[in-house]
Order: sequence, then C-alpha cells, then structure tokens
Amino acid sequence: MTYEEVIFFVIAVPTVGGAIGVVTARNVIHSALFLILSLLAVAGVFILLAAEFLAIVQVLIYGGAVTILVLFAMMLTRVRDLPAALDGPQRPFAALAAGVFMGVSILSVVSTEWPGETEEINVISIEQIGNQLFTTWAVPFEIASLVLMVALLGAIILARGEEGE
Amino acid sequence: MIPINDFLVLSAILFSLGIYGVLARRNAVLILMSVELMLQAVAINFIAFAVYLSPDQFTGVIFAIFVITIAAAEVGLALAIILRLYRNRATANVDEADTLKW
Amino acid sequence: MGMEDAYLIPAIPAAAFVVLLLFGKYLPRGGDFIAILAIAASFALLFPVLIDFLDHADGTEFVPGEKSWEWVRFETGGRDFEIRLGFFVDQISIVMLAVVSFVALIVQIYSVGYMRGDPKYGWYFTCMSLFAASMLTLVLADNLLLLYAAWEGVGFCSFLLIGFWWERRSAAEAAKKAFITTRIGDVGFLIGILLLWKEARTFDITAIFEFAERGGFNDADIGGIGLNGSAYLTIAVLFLFAGAVGKSGQFPLHVWLPDAMEGPTPVSALIHAATMVVAGVYMVSRMFPLFELADQVALDVVMALGLITVLLSATLGLAATDIKRVIAYSTLNSLGLMFVALGSGSVTAAMLYLFVHGFFKALLFLAAGSVIHATEKQELPELGGLASKMPLTALVFLIGTLAMVGVIPLSGFWAKDEVLHAHESYGNVVLYIIALVSVFITGLYMTRLFIRTFLFEPRDRHSWEHAHDAEPVMTLPLIPLALLTIVGGFVVFDGVGEAMGFPGGFGEFVFTHEPEGFDFAWDIAVLSTVSAVGGIIVGWYFWSNGGEPARRAGERLSPVYRMLANRYYIDVAYQWVIDRIVLTLGRVVAWFDRNIVNDTAVDGSAGLGVFAGFGMKFLETGKLPNYALAIVAGVIGLAVLLLVLRL
Repeated sequence: MTYEEVIFFVIAVPTVGGAIGVVTARNVIHSALFLILSLLAVAGVFILLAAEFLAIVQVLIYGGAVTILVLFAMMLTRVRDLPAALDGPQRPFAALAAGVFMGVSILSVVSTEWPGETEEINVISIEQIGNQLFTTWAVPFEIASLVLMVALLGAIILARGEEGE
Repeated sequence: MIPINDFLVLSAILFSLGIYGVLARRNAVLILMSVELMLQAVAINFIAFAVYLSPDQFTGVIFAIFVITIAAAEVGLALAIILRLYRNRATANVDEADTLKW
Repeated sequence: MGMEDAYLIPAIPAAAFVVLLLFGKYLPRGGDFIAILAIAASFALLFPVLIDFLDHADGTEFVPGEKSWEWVRFETGGRDFEIRLGFFVDQISIVMLAVVSFVALIVQIYSVGYMRGDPKYGWYFTCMSLFAASMLTLVLADNLLLLYAAWEGVGFCSFLLIGFWWERRSAAEAAKKAFITTRIGDVGFLIGILLLWKEARTFDITAIFEFAERGGFNDADIGGIGLNGSAYLTIAVLFLFAGAVGKSGQFPLHVWLPDAMEGPTPVSALIHAATMVVAGVYMVSRMFPLFELADQVALDVVMALGLITVLLSATLGLAATDIKRVIAYSTLNSLGLMFVALGSGSVTAAMLYLFVHGFFKALLFLAAGSVIHATEKQELPELGGLASKMPLTALVFLIGTLAMVGVIPLSGFWAKDEVLHAHESYGNVVLYIIALVSVFITGLYMTRLFIRTFLFEPRDRHSWEHAHDAEPVMTLPLIPLALLTIVGGFVVFDGVGEAMGFPGGFGEFVFTHEPEGFDFAWDIAVLSTVSAVGGIIVGWYFWSNGGEPARRAGERLSPVYRMLANRYYIDVAYQWVIDRIVLTLGRVVAWFDRNIVNDTAVDGSAGLGVFAGFGMKFLETGKLPNYALAIVAGVIGLAVLLLVLRL
C-alpha cells in the first residue's frame, strides 16, 4: 500500500464515518456536527484530487455558510423540544434501498473499463479553471449567479413571515 | 498513485448513505443534510472523472463548482421552506405534513 | 334549347325548394309564387323538349335524347364502379312529364286558396317544390340508382305532406304507415336493382336492356345456387316489381293509400292520384323490356296483383263513408287496371290510362276539396244536396265521375277501352269477365258517391246553408282539368295526333314494340258501356232519394258489410304481425342493446376505470418519505436494468 493510499484512507474514514453519523445519530445537533466533519473531509478529498480551488470553496461555503444555516434552522424549528423518534417507519426499506443501490453502483464501478489513464492524476491549475469559467462556461456562470439571486430573494420572502411580525 | 476506483467507490458509499438518510429520517432538516451528502458524492465523482479521464477538457471540475453553488442556493431555499412549514404546523416532521393524501 | 336541356325541368323546382327552404320565412306570402313559377317554368320547358324530340324522330322511329354526368367513380383495376347523374328523354318520359308538370301546376294554384291561413303555408309550398323536383327527376332518370334516389325522395315528400298536420294523431300515424309500407316495397326494389347490377355491372337502364338482350342474364346464379335460363332475370324483375307494389298501392301493400287521405286534399290530388302512385306504373313501363325477357310468370304476377287490387278496392269503395276515402279506393281501382294492362303486355294502354287518369282523378279530388273547404265536412252521412249550392263544383265532379266509370265519349272510356282490349287479347276469358265486373262495381260506388254528396236532401242543414262554390283561385284551375277530362281521350285517334304534330295517335307514340293504330272494337265498347251504365242505373236505384234499398241490403248482408267496413281485416292482420313479431324482435334487440352493449361494454369499461382508480388511490399517502422511496426504487430499477444490459 503506497503512502498515497494511506493518506486516502486517512481522509476517507472521516468522510464515511461522518456520513454514517449524520444518518444515524440520536441527537440532531450531533448529526449537524458529524455533517461538518464529513464536509471538511470531503474538502480533503478534493485536495487529494489536486483541485485545491474547489477544496477552498468547499470549506468556505459548506463549512461556513451551510452549516450555520442548518444550525439556525434547527434552532428556529425547536428540534430538540420534540420527543418524536428521529427515524421514520420506513427504516428497513430505506436500508434495503440504500444497500441495493450501493451494491449496484460499486459493482458497476468495479466492472467498468474506464477509458484513459486511470492511475495518473493530472493537475488542473486554477488559472485554467478561471479561463474556462469566463470563456466557454460564461453563460452557465451568469445563470448560476442568477439562480443564487433568485434563491436569495425567495428565501427572504418565504422566511419573512406575515406582516406585522 | 491512487486508482480512480477508490474515489468512485467512496462516492458510491457516500451517495448510498445519503439515500438512507433521506428515506429513513423524519426531521426535514436531517433530510436536507442527507441530500447535502448526496451532492458531495456527486461532486467527488465529477472531479474524479475530470482529473483522471479527461484532463484537457476538465468539464467535471467546472461542473463541481456549479454543483456546490446550486447546492448552497438550494439549502437556503429549503430551510426557508422548512421554517414556513414549522410556522404553519408547529412541526418539522415530514410525516405529519400529509394532508395531500387520498 | 332542346332535349339535352331536359335536366332543367327538375332542376328549376329543385332550386325553388332550396330557396324556399332557406328563405321561405322571410318572403312575402311564404314564397308560394316562387314554387308556382318554378313548376310553370318546368311545364313550359316541356314544349321545346317535345318539339325537339319530334324533330329528331322519323315517322314512328323515335330517337331518345340523353345527357349524363359522372358523379362518383372508383377505379379498381379492371372493375370500375361508377355512379352517374343522367337524364333520358323518350316517349314514356314525355307523357309522364306532361302529366306531372301540368297537374302539379294546377294543384299548386288551387292550393293558394285551399291552404290560405294555414300557419305552415310556406312550408307546404316548400314540400311541394321538393316533390315536383323529385318526381320529375324520377321520370327522367336514365339509371336505376338515380331513379331509386328520386323514388325515395317522393316517398319522403309524401311522408312530409301526409303528416302535414301532424298535430293530429291520425295524420302522424298515417304518414308513418305510408312510409313504412312503401319502404317494404322499396327494399325489394333495391334488391332487384342490385341483382341486375351484379350481372350487368351497370345501373344504366339502356345498358341493362342491351345486356339482357344479349342473354347476359341467362344461367346466372344467386349465391352459388345455379339457375336456369331466365330464372335470374325473373327473380330480379319480381323484386323490382315489389317496389311498384308498395309505391302504387297494389295488394298486399295497398293499406297506406286510404289512410294517406289525412293529408291536405290538394296533396291527395297531386301525389296520391296523379303522380307519385303512378310511379310504379311508370317504372314497370320503363323496365318493360326486362319483363318481357323474363319468364311469363313475372307478367302474370303483375296482372294477378292488379286484378286482386281492382276487385278489393272496388268492393271497399262501396262501404267507405269519407269522400276522400271513396276517391282513394277509386284510385286503387285505376292503378290496378293499369297493372292489368301491363300484365297483358300493353304499355300503350297503361300509359294512356295513366295520362287521362291524372286529369280526371285530380279533378275529382280538387272538387272534393272544394266541398270540404265549403262545408268543413267530409263524411257522406253528413253531406247531400250540394248541387244547388255549388253548381260548378257539382258539374265538374259529375264529369270526373263519368270519366272514372268510363262513359263514352269522356277520356276515361277510351283508356278503359284500351285496357280491356289488351286484356282480352291476353286470352283468358275468366279474367276478362272479372275486369268487366269491376267496371260495373265502379259504376256502383261512384254513383253512390255523387248522389250522397250532391243530390237530394242535405243531411246536415246547417253546413249546407253555408256551402257555396269556392273562390276563383280554386275553381278556375278545375276548368282546364275538366276540359282535358272531356277531350283528353281523343288522342287515341290518328287524326288528332297528327294535327298536334305527332306521327299519329297515342298508340303510335307510346308503344311496346310496334306502333299500334287504334281500332274501335265494337264488342268491347258495347260490353264496357253496358257494364258501366248498368252500374250507374243500379247505383241510382239503391242510393237515390235517401237510399232505402241500400240500407235494407246493408242490413240483410250485414256480415259482408262489416267485413268491407273493416277493410277485409287486412289492417288488423298487419297490426297483429307488427305487435307479435316485429315488436318482439325489437324487444330482443333492445335487451341486447341495453344489457350487453350499454351495461357491459360501455358502463363496464368505465366502471373498470373507476374501480382501478379506487384501488390505486392508496398509493397517494401524502407522506414525503414514501414518495422519495418510490423515486429511489425507480432509479434503482433503471440502474439494475442498465447494469444487466451492459453486462
């Protein structure tokens, strides 16, 4: 096992562990914390894939904004106050579905002959990404910004509450 | 070097765990978090393919940027909706939001 | 303007019909002048056509005129199917055109007075125009399909006009009865047409004749059953005759004609005396070459039914009490005689009788209409003594009566003479005697009719007081009819015919194979006159001055009287068949329709949908996780499928 693979495992374990924690924790705040762990570990995976820019973006957005949002939502909806069990009545079916899906996808991944070099990671510089983003992908870029604005407005309007509050 | 399959298997596992979370959890916020997991897995997949299999036209990386962007927007909106739901029904349990039934 | 423009003759009333149908409500006086002008134009157009026809003739060698257009054509590799719209002018059609257009014109003018004040005045003339167009098309048609279409057209108009006052239950029932009875005949007619087409592959009449003369119908087979010689043609021709039986009221389909008197009297005059009911006679005359080529049995059937109808109607005329009914039975009598003539092989006699009958029968009906219009009554027990109050009407009615009975020198005599002449040359003495007896009975009932209506003491003083001759628009049209009734018969003479531009008398114009000059057969004339006058004298004895002898005879022969009054119970028998058989069949079909088609097929399939919906609605739980599970299950299914396919 090369040292790269070791590093990979070191990063992968928190990722998967955090994920398992998210979906099985008894306490919702614990779930949120496990989510933070998992997200940050995914940033590590991105670094392994030599996409540093994305790793930074991941940390900033997910680790920063998204988790804050999630925690605020938990606070506002009083999650701790409600005594109901966190898992729904579908749990066995969910496990079955998830298991089957995992099996199918791993099977298909493992049995495919990927075209091209599957061992070598090619570094993609941030310069290239920037270039592409503003030339070939300019239109989707602008649309993405539009989507963000719409989401922002929508969130404000939805969450604003009735007049006079 | 790390073979591509490792990343792909990792992403598959993450995705499956996300599916389990979406289907099994009752609280809307928890479901949302599971969806985030799924989106993470997708981003890993995209980047892995771009970096390993088509480095000269790295569409996957760009796609991953967009995935993250849209995911963020979606989280904001979804949480706003959950807040609304909570205000209307005093609960964030999706099991109790079932008036649109037969 | 010549023979090839003959199509205008039906086209103009057809155009009038369309105009009246669409705009009749908005026209002044309901548009009656349009209808009258149209039919007058048709009558006027007859003359150029006739002159052109005579010009093309060479002595008694006549050349028919034709014009046709293609309407529908299917080309199916070798066997083309074609429907044409065509018009054919020959001697028979000219005679018919003359009768139809002239009598229609007279009747429509008369109707202006008779129908005045009726709320559906405009609609009356609309129907009249449609009828004129259909009838004129019928006599000019050159192919059987067009003839059949026009045949149905006149039947439809008859329905509309018999049921003109449909608010009266009896009128609606009579219209229905007429239509259904003639329909039965029409089905046979259509079968005959199709049988002919099957072998000849054409509907064109002239082509069918040529085909038949070539022997094309010999040994043809129906549905695999081989037939010898001319059996096929005989069967086809008998089916054609079925149409005539229905339309011309021969036994056993005669039952509709007396009831058809529910319609307005001018309608009875035009349709049920002069024109539509003679369509059957026209059709047999037109198709006569086929009748001759078929087995003798075909013509025998024609004559047999004709004679039965003659006797049946004459005896029923003795017992009927409504003026119009008696005249209707006399029409049946005349129609029977026309078919007797045809059955004996003489188209000349039949067409001559048709020609003069149109005039004197229309005259009788219109005069009766004047009586009804003046007294508001039409039952014989309520009439009487009207001659002093309505002299002109009585006079023309007398002329018509004498013509009907066949008194020399009125037209009816010459026509009846021709018929008897043909019948005698047929050879069977018994049948000849039966025909003479019918002449006697005709004398009886017509005399009864005249006496009870116009002579001696009135039964109902009150309506008698108010009676008077009708207004000019109703009496003036009667005069030309009366004049034609008196002199119309003289066309049989060569001298008269030549003076009018024809190559000779009637027999030299309309003939079966050879032109027939007119011979005055003294023995027939004497016998028929004796029968006729005898009938009048005996009738006078029985019914004059209160009719005591008739009443006593009626009481002594009361079962016979009752049978006649109930029309030989034929109507009762038909009604029984309808009630027991037809309606039962209808109930079976209705059961099938209600239970199987409606409940099972229609309601059942709908119910299945509803049931499925009810069953499946439980999928809609309203819970988000359930829906998400469904989505994931679908995705997994797709993924597995793709994986399997790829592996």
